[in-house]
Amino acid sequence: MEIIRKKRNLENYTIRSIPKSVLKKDSNGKTIIDESNPNYYYGKIPVYKVDKEGNFRLDSFGQKILNTINIDIFLKQDIDDMGLFSDQQFIPKTPILLSEPEGFNSFEYGRLAGAPVNFYYSNVATITGTTDDGLLKQVKSYRKDLSGNDIYVPNLNVSYDPKNIFNGVLSENQDETLYKIGANVSDIQNTGVSFKTYKNIFQKTFDEYGKELTFNKTEFTASNGGWNQYNTSLSANIKKEEYLGIVFKPEVKSVVFINRGIADIFERHSLLSEIKTTNDIDTNRGGFIRI
Amino acid sequence: MATGNYGTIRPADVSVEDVEIFYSYTPSRESITSVELISLDPAQVLIPAANPNNVTEIFGGLYTLKLPTSVFGTKGYYSIIIRPKQIRVTIQDCAVLIDNQDVKGIVFDINQIPLELQNRFENGNLVGYRVEYIKEQTGTGQDKIQNLFRIITSNNRALPITQNQGNSNASQAYTFNDNSTSVFCTVTPASAPSFKPNATPFIGNPQQEVIITNTFFNPVMMEIEMVEFDEETLAYALFSNQTKSLEDGIYTIYNFGNEIYRQYNLYEVKDQFSGKPLFEVREQKFTIDPTKDFDDITNF
Repeated sequence: MEIIRKKRNLENYTIRSIPKSVLKKDSNGKTIIDESNPNYYYGKIPVYKVDKEGNFRLDSFGQKILNTINIDIFLKQDIDDMGLFSDQQFIPKTPILLSEPEGFNSFEYGRLAGAPVNFYYSNVATITGTTDDGLLKQVKSYRKDLSGNDIYVPNLNVSYDPKNIFNGVLSENQDETLYKIGANVSDIQNTGVSFKTYKNIFQKTFDEYGKELTFNKTEFTASNGGWNQYNTSLSANIKKEEYLGIVFKPEVKSVVFINRGIADIFERHSLLSEIKTTNDIDTNRGGFIRI
Repeated sequence: MATGNYGTIRPADVSVEDVEIFYSYTPSRESITSVELISLDPAQVLIPAANPNNVTEIFGGLYTLKLPTSVFGTKGYYSIIIRPKQIRVTIQDCAVLIDNQDVKGIVFDINQIPLELQNRFENGNLVGYRVEYIKEQTGTGQDKIQNLFRIITSNNRALPITQNQGNSNASQAYTFNDNSTSVFCTVTPASAPSFKPNATPFIGNPQQEVIITNTFFNPVMMEIEMVEFDEETLAYALFSNQTKSLEDGIYTIYNFGNEIYRQYNLYEVKDQFSGKPLFEVREQKFTIDPTKDFDDITNF
């Protein structure tokens, strides 16, 4: 536990003003303080804030303001991620709630008992942006014109699963090509990602080696973002201790290759020392030699 | 597989409803009386700062303690402890999941929880809470089991299911059911070490009382020393305005606002027979003479 030490001077909260209204004359005609006057606070720390005349200071609601000693503190939270949850089936609470509680927020409520999964759906988000024209080639037909350019045929579905997925051009003119990738064949307009590649507008960028790349400006629009019935489900979350600290479940593959890295500066020299013949290059370390 | 926990330190944005505040007072560090902790209402004394860019949003981290002068207006030492709110509850059951017999947990009855705290026990909301245990036989000295705690790693509403174990024996396991008012909590550590598989870490017993505490912020202790003098008040004596009344010998020291800070009587003690001066005395005057107002004196 953190310990913070502060010092406060009570003098800062002590009243030192003597309003004229608390003065009176004694029998000798000398001016003295009427200590019974309710406006007299000299030398005291009042419970409520008072002004120099000894009257209570009021807030905007006409209420007396509590006299407080204010100290700022900064609260912190140390957090450690404990790894992944495991999903578990559960029986939903019945009757199912028909409407969300006021101010429903899945982060605050957690998995609210009786809440159907659609409470966790979000409004459809439309994502727009620009990219290169790399995907345009995916929707070309197999034909070329006399100049050798690809021919794009509107409504030609070139996806590998044409019964369910539409990948193809929707329209084309001399300025732009409009096409869809990953649309549902039964609702091409409202599903998939729309691309519009401008034929006469070019953009430049540079690859990792500094080489200049030029491509046709392409805009994309995806209008099915957010949480919906296709990417959301409700499960009871539990923690299995064997997975604490593990970010994702282990994947076991039949071919395991351990790359020792270059933790040791003599590593590469050691590797070379193991190779005596050209045959060793093929056979050393199961064929996974990496120098 | 990626292993290794990651963590960070963040400004806490805990609600004051999840905070407990206690204070103790001692007039000096040498006080021999035992510490008596008195609770304060966090809603009254702990005010979170608002984000200046969005006043309906908590700034995070920064809180102002508004200590009432009626309580904290005495010279001495105040120790203030700000810690996460504790919830006392009795363990309803300790069991395993019917579909995951290696997952052990403790079960609470939501109806036993005060109404204003029941939302903390909804599915998933207790993750990260700390569980501390009270001895099952209390009144035998220290009631709390010291140095023992578990951390809740998940919580879900669950229903007990009886499993037939043969020979008329039956045990109880739980299945997740949101219609239930029982909450199944997994805690860590709860698994047996691999070298001694029967040594399951203690996670509690049915009907045992436990203390559940949130971990929304790190507890803080403040020691506030209330003093009567500091550099400012000492500076009054050195640099502020002063008057000495030659008629009655009243010596007045004003603060920097020209308000009477201290008054003293100045006089000489003389030998009663010879009249020889023996001492010059400056004696603090506790009945303030209001006619020594600095502005009145200098307004000529």
